[in-house]
Amino acid sequence: MERTERLLDLVALLLDAAKPLSWAEVRATFPDDYGGSADAADRKFERDKAELLELGIPLTYVQATDEDPEGYLVDRDAYYLPEVGLTPDELAMLYAAGSAALASGAFPGRQDLAHALRKIGFFAEGPLPAPKVRLELGAVANTDELPARLDALWSAINSRKSIELEYFSPRTLAVTKRRVDPWGLALRRGLWTLVGHCHLRGDVRVFHVHRVRSLTVNTTRPRSRDFEVPADFRLDDWVATRPWQHRFHPPIDVTIRLTGELAPLAARLFAVPVTTFEHGTELVVRATDLDGLLKYVLSLGEHARVLAPRSATDRVTELATLVLQQHGGQP
Amino acid sequence: MTSPPTGRPGVHERLRRLLFLVPFVSKNPGLKVAEVARAMGISREQLLVELDLLTLVGRPPFQPDDFIDIYVEDDDRVFVHLDQRLLAPPRLTAAEGVALFAAAALLKPGAGDALSSALAKLEGVLPPEAVGRYRDMSRQLDVTVEGPDSLADLSRAIVEKREVELDYFTASRGQTEHRRVRPLELFNHRGQWYLSAHCLSRGDQRLFRLDRVASLAVTEQRFDALEEPRPRPMPSADASSVVWVRFSARAAPYIRERFGDDARDVGDGEVKVPVTGDSERWLTQWVLSFGGDATVTEPQWAIAAVARAAQASLQSR
Repeated sequence: MERTERLLDLVALLLDAAKPLSWAEVRATFPDDYGGSADAADRKFERDKAELLELGIPLTYVQATDEDPEGYLVDRDAYYLPEVGLTPDELAMLYAAGSAALASGAFPGRQDLAHALRKIGFFAEGPLPAPKVRLELGAVANTDELPARLDALWSAINSRKSIELEYFSPRTLAVTKRRVDPWGLALRRGLWTLVGHCHLRGDVRVFHVHRVRSLTVNTTRPRSRDFEVPADFRLDDWVATRPWQHRFHPPIDVTIRLTGELAPLAARLFAVPVTTFEHGTELVVRATDLDGLLKYVLSLGEHARVLAPRSATDRVTELATLVLQQHGGQP
Repeated sequence: MTSPPTGRPGVHERLRRLLFLVPFVSKNPGLKVAEVARAMGISREQLLVELDLLTLVGRPPFQPDDFIDIYVEDDDRVFVHLDQRLLAPPRLTAAEGVALFAAAALLKPGAGDALSSALAKLEGVLPPEAVGRYRDMSRQLDVTVEGPDSLADLSRAIVEKREVELDYFTASRGQTEHRRVRPLELFNHRGQWYLSAHCLSRGDQRLFRLDRVASLAVTEQRFDALEEPRPRPMPSADASSVVWVRFSARAAPYIRERFGDDARDVGDGEVKVPVTGDSERWLTQWVLSFGGDATVTEPQWAIAAVARAAQASLQSR
């Protein structure tokens, strides 16, 4: 019997069972499938149980009680999707978000997402809402490989399997081969980023998925985990959301003053606490990529000014002078 | 585990599909084969294979009534007679929950809005075993979309079909105008957000760039969405406003990634790219953000504009 068929039979059997079923009873129901040696049959049943659990089927082994023998049981209440009670507006918003992610073409877990949308739409009366939000997530030109890469990474992340990467660095223009334990994926500024433990460097590293030239997931022992993710791991600690957050050097605190039209926007532009003065607002930004910060300040125009430290004020003057000279001006 | 969406589906994917298919047909009896296939995201041929498999599924003692009875009638409609207790789909798996929550983050859910309340309700129906796994996995997919704050309000206005009042800066006239619109579609193109809407002030469909919307208010006035957003060419610069920017060898690899074939080699590892010059402010900001690795090469007005902006920055120091 085909495995899919046997697993469905198992679900039907367990959903219908009035009392827990022993392994002997299960085996007797599928004599051909669980034939052979006791060991082989045990192993096969273990794999089947793991697959059912992976599907979210609440399969448990219960101890004997006065009424019932010990055995396997599916909790029917926990199996069936209950009515979620979404309002039409709530359902429409979820559909808008989900369809936008699916249509963007490059979203990890597309199959998971498609199933999730079908399930939440199950109890909906009438036609499902049409998507009205479109996203082009790719901030890079060539995204042909991206969807498949994201799916492979998402699968490796969920099952805790290591990957082999060939990774291109635009800084060194070199392609390096490395083994990585993938810990998580983040989307920032339209770019997908992988964070994981890099065996080549022996440390946590951040990779842009579009710079991955090849990717293979370790397929040996698919049900055992190759690694664990540290309990205190947070993607946000590693992924730069702002241009000054790349980890290029030890942190430097830079004082910035915003005046005129920029003053009221300070908190939004830098996402740090601000102090308001008569002449504008001041704030302190902790930078691990000073040039990234200074170029950003420069792009804000004449109403943004770096006050301290001296190394930062000198450097921003240097950058502005360079731009001026390149465009035919004299400082 | 999730198998790749291409090629032959794995056991996991098929089981997931089949456990949904039976209750779906039960709830929607008599749908056409094509409609069921579309709802399941598979081809007609794949669906027929799945239906065949389902008729083999049953439980002891495997008498005729112990099998799933799902069939296609002559006029191509699908029915379930015996569902063998597959009367509703299984609950969301942890992975499905995480994917959905990450997608929702694209629309920037805010406190108290429909998206946030929907997510709270969904978290409430995750199976108890999946909640821990779900929390764990949420740490592993983190989606942040850089968009204007108006994104959530406009998504809601589109979904709830509410008219919107906005103040819009028109570059060609150099002034801000008040508009009342029926929002139809939001989209992001090359990092820029656009709203496609029926403009009541102009009596026609218009495209609005969200970074030029000075303020907006979602009104209580609802409308019937009879109008579909018109397919249109993506916004692009006309030839007269193209600005050429040259990038140093250090910046060139990054620019190639972003612009693809639009980045042309100019020797010594440098590249140049054409960009739209319809906003002097955007252009000068963008060039300055490269801090010397980007140089405007033509036209003259754009070179002068960047020089002015750099000079102004120096003088304010």
